[in-house]
Amino acid sequence: MKSDIVKTLFTRFFSSLLTIFLLVSFLFIIIRLSPGDPTDKYISAKLGSELSEKIAEKFSLTQPVTDQYFSFVENVFKGDMGVSYNYRLPVFEVIWEYFSFTLVFASISFILQIILSIWLALWIIKKRNKWLDNFVANTLLFIYSVPAFVLGVVLIYVFSVNLNLFPISGLKSLDYDYLPFFSQILDKIHHLILPLITLTAAGVALFYKYVKESIDEVIQNTFIVNLRASGVNEKTILKKHVIPNAIRPLISVAGIELGIILGGTLITEVIFSLPGMGRLAIDSILSRDYPLVIGCVFTAGAVMILANFFADIIKLKLDKRLVKGILN
Amino acid sequence: MNIKTINLLLISFLLLLIIACDSKQSASDNRIIIGISADVQTFNSLYAFSYEESAIAEILYPGLLDFRWNDEKGELDLYPMIAKSWQWAEDSLSIRFFLRDDILWSDGKKLTASDVVFSYDVFSDPEVESRLYGTFNQLFTESDGHIDIEKTFNVISPYEFEIHIPESSVPDLVKIVVPVIPEHIFKNISRDQLANHESNFNPVSSGAFKFKKWDKNQTIILEADSSSFLFLPDQVAELVFKIVPDYTSRILQLKKGDIDLVELVKVEDMVELKSEKSLAAVNLIGREYDYIGWNNINTDEASKPNKLFGSSNVHKALSMAINRKEILNEYLLGQGELAASSVSPIFKSAFNDKVTPYEFNPDEAKKLLSHEGWKDRDKNGILEKGNEEFKFKMYYPVGNPLREYAAVVVKNNLKAVGIEVTLEKIEQGAFINNLYERKFDSWMAGFGVPIPLDLKPYWYSDPNVGFLNFSGYKSDEADAILNQLETKISYDKKNELIKRFQEIIHQDEPVTFLYWTPNIIIYNKRIKNLNITPYGVLVHCWEWTLN
Repeated sequence: MKSDIVKTLFTRFFSSLLTIFLLVSFLFIIIRLSPGDPTDKYISAKLGSELSEKIAEKFSLTQPVTDQYFSFVENVFKGDMGVSYNYRLPVFEVIWEYFSFTLVFASISFILQIILSIWLALWIIKKRNKWLDNFVANTLLFIYSVPAFVLGVVLIYVFSVNLNLFPISGLKSLDYDYLPFFSQILDKIHHLILPLITLTAAGVALFYKYVKESIDEVIQNTFIVNLRASGVNEKTILKKHVIPNAIRPLISVAGIELGIILGGTLITEVIFSLPGMGRLAIDSILSRDYPLVIGCVFTAGAVMILANFFADIIKLKLDKRLVKGILN
Repeated sequence: MNIKTINLLLISFLLLLIIACDSKQSASDNRIIIGISADVQTFNSLYAFSYEESAIAEILYPGLLDFRWNDEKGELDLYPMIAKSWQWAEDSLSIRFFLRDDILWSDGKKLTASDVVFSYDVFSDPEVESRLYGTFNQLFTESDGHIDIEKTFNVISPYEFEIHIPESSVPDLVKIVVPVIPEHIFKNISRDQLANHESNFNPVSSGAFKFKKWDKNQTIILEADSSSFLFLPDQVAELVFKIVPDYTSRILQLKKGDIDLVELVKVEDMVELKSEKSLAAVNLIGREYDYIGWNNINTDEASKPNKLFGSSNVHKALSMAINRKEILNEYLLGQGELAASSVSPIFKSAFNDKVTPYEFNPDEAKKLLSHEGWKDRDKNGILEKGNEEFKFKMYYPVGNPLREYAAVVVKNNLKAVGIEVTLEKIEQGAFINNLYERKFDSWMAGFGVPIPLDLKPYWYSDPNVGFLNFSGYKSDEADAILNQLETKISYDKKNELIKRFQEIIHQDEPVTFLYWTPNIIIYNKRIKNLNITPYGVLVHCWEWTLN
């Protein structure tokens, strides 16, 4: 069994590497075939075209695409994703500055999505109220259907402009450095509440549906009836038997959802002016900063694959029978 | 812990948070917050390519001379800055600069002539790839564009030096003055490493404001530098650039008072914002115009005229068929101005007010087209000439609502005179790329107007010189004028030539000039001494004060 697990992990690891390599290769070709030129911004009436030609040469943009690709692949194997045209710094150096925020922001949202959805599902099940159940389900369906950019703007309008309860944008106040430590933490939380609601709302709705259905299914199992008949306390049944069994389908969805959150941060970061990788990716696409675009996609792809990888490991831990399924 | 307790704790936490964060609003009022849409990538003047970067770099690194907009004449006047005075040699082959001896860099070192010469050296060095590389043709340069320092400069003392100028060139001081950067910071850094050196992110400056803090994609804070020669006692303590990429968010923050100044406000928002007691608006017209480009030449064979747009009568007919005033009044609510040529009315001495835009006149347009052989012989509503129907695709970039609106009006207007237009909206980067490759027959775009006025890149017939002449316009007389403007001529002669140039352009109408688009700036009235001119919004921002 142990060797099966090791084999599974190795297979997943190498297939993940291959997926990422194919992803960046595909992107490399697509982005270079698409119209647009990273050196266009260096041409103006004042500058002439000398500078743009010089920069194109420096970044090897004058070479044939195939040559560029092979030198790119060679560098990728050396762990070098190149230098950003705009920042003129190594791609990962630029990405790390922005990705760290996105990672923390997305992780908090992810954890909140799981906690809130389970909490809400349990609360509804405890209430055993059909009307409330329908009301919550429909409300969450509505929230799920509202795009993040609409929800974000509505939240800003209501809570920031009209009620003046939260800041409109940014991660911290201008006087942040002069605040005591505790106030600094509060300041950041204060700035992050609306963005977190925007990013988290749809995920809560999605997870809620899975958890609720799963719990309903588990509760109807005969072993739960047996436990109840044996006089086991309702809280214990829920904690020890219902939740562990109901949470399993959630883990698979969670792996995919993390990728969706990364996509969602992009919109939320723009609306709330947050310093994350989403904005960096958009700017790099618009300015045709090829290495940075590939770096951003590589990072997002790696996170997505890692998240699914961990989701599988957790599933394996919960149910050893899944080894063969994942292997295949 | 039951659910009720959790709820109670959550609500208490939220209340605490709101109270805690609300109490810190008044920490510093002596600052001006400017809303910008994109972050900078450097503070180094050498690489300040974007609008935001160059605005900040200009504050940090003053140049040898100060330029102020003379509204009466519509041109720049020169004032002392780092140089307290300057003197041309009698033969006009050299100019001597006398520098102030009290200028300190923000690290306490003195600014001398050596810094100035070093700045020219670095800005023109091909290895550095600075934003001004390739623009020093008026000085003694080597074959790679690098200024020949020995031939060009003669340092007489730490505060006095000369610039020698080749006999053949007629340099304009506005064009050859560069921002002065600190030699002691950059001299030990390898030239090809300058672009990503850490000193670019913690600049040593000489301007009225110095760098304080940069929270990437959040804020850039400049603070008043009391040791600067430009420092004024009642200058604001901090100038904050708040990066807010979302336009709506910038406007909401302006209304709320979280931001003091925003540029490029939409006309429809201006009306509402102007009604706010605390806000005021300035509309800067004349730095940008929109136009519809007609490819004058054949895309495949440049020597032949374009089969649709090869004649100036057709250009005029197209201009007359388009109701530009309607777009101006309906979309821009009258805040723009109709354009007749690419010479902006802001250049009052050079502007030819006798050249007026073609009036909207579909009947006259039909007559002109008929005169050129374009007639609807088969009565299908589309004009023909031989076997060729007058139909084409008009391209325009996404993300500009004004152009999207105008494109529909153009399509409808041209349909009325028998021309079928298919509208093609494409991504900005792809659009620019296709323009440079001269792939379009018709397109809608805009041009910024440089100060001082520079017409050659836009209209000269040789594509290597007129690299922005996307329509392939060619006029021998226009070329001759553009060449003549680069020779030693009097001030009056220069203006006379520019006026004649406008007449030629108007006569040939190589593109349809649409309108001068507004740049609406909304600011909080608590800012005083705000002197916004066509030359820029933030120039001389150290003179701003607060109520």
